[in-house]
Amino acid sequence: MSTAAALSAVLAVALITYGSRAGLIVFLADRPLPVSATRALRYVGPAVLSALTVNLIAGGKGASGVEGAEVAAIAVCIVVAWATRNLIAALGAGMVTLWVVLALL
Amino acid sequence: MATDPARATNDPLTSDAFRRAIPLFIPAIPFALVLGVAITESAMPTGVAWSTNIVVFAGAAQLATVSLAATATWFTLVATAAVINLRHVMYSAALSPRFTDQPRWFRWVGPFFLIDQLFALSSVRDELSSRDWRRFYLTAGIFFFVSWTLTVTLGMLVGSTIPTAWRLDVAPAIMFAGLVVLGLTNRPGVVAAVTGAGVCFLALDVPNNGGILVGAISGVAAGYLADLAQSRRATDAAGAS
Repeated sequence: MSTAAALSAVLAVALITYGSRAGLIVFLADRPLPVSATRALRYVGPAVLSALTVNLIAGGKGASGVEGAEVAAIAVCIVVAWATRNLIAALGAGMVTLWVVLALL
Repeated sequence: MATDPARATNDPLTSDAFRRAIPLFIPAIPFALVLGVAITESAMPTGVAWSTNIVVFAGAAQLATVSLAATATWFTLVATAAVINLRHVMYSAALSPRFTDQPRWFRWVGPFFLIDQLFALSSVRDELSSRDWRRFYLTAGIFFFVSWTLTVTLGMLVGSTIPTAWRLDVAPAIMFAGLVVLGLTNRPGVVAAVTGAGVCFLALDVPNNGGILVGAISGVAAGYLADLAQSRRATDAAGAS
């Protein structure tokens, strides 16, 4: 990615991020969101972050970019995160799984 | 400890802000370190990737921006970060009543700091006066901003010394998987996450990483419908009893 493309992308992300935080406060103070919007916004986090996880694992190479060790690491991370509610433990367990599976394969 | 910011001041409100903000920052430390490593490995120039700390200040959107630079188009990258940030609209909606009687400068400056942790801290302080709430919000917000930027920078320094055999390039994906699980509070959330991941996998061949957006939109729709069905059932059950 060229410096100009990267800079303009970062600036666009910055403006959009600020807009999503400031929009209702600066421009629409005291106008509540409709119930249906709140209901949908609640699921943006899980939907987009899980899609992003899959995409990063594939690494732009389609389904063939998914390595077995990565899938094992993600699976262990999910189980540990679920059981402990601790992000550090989940990340650590995922990385250790990745290393172990890569060493065994 | 002399360097403990909570003791570095005699002002009760300021120390209260530090005392509540520090425990919330600790879980963000590994995230910041992972982001630091991802910045050094980003397809973006390192300085530009680092500047996301200063101008974006949103961990998940930053991590997506610097990690996707290698494979995604400009549009997909910006659109993905935008979708990730949509949850801030909810925060902004929930906090907007506390901003109506604030000075104009704060209504413009305050939202910049509105990360998940700051929302968690400031949305539960209804007892504070407008002036105290503003000071509490800014103190915690600036603390998060400075600590975040320093920790990410530390991650960049550490990251460049770590051998590639450690496969830290996989860490962002693992991080996001963990964040999804920790963010799940109800069954429709699980439906949204599973649908988002599944549809993105099926759509991996959509050009320009468009599968992220296809997966995200499907996931939100599925979560919305599941939530609707759940609340209908709850209403029916309440009506029947």
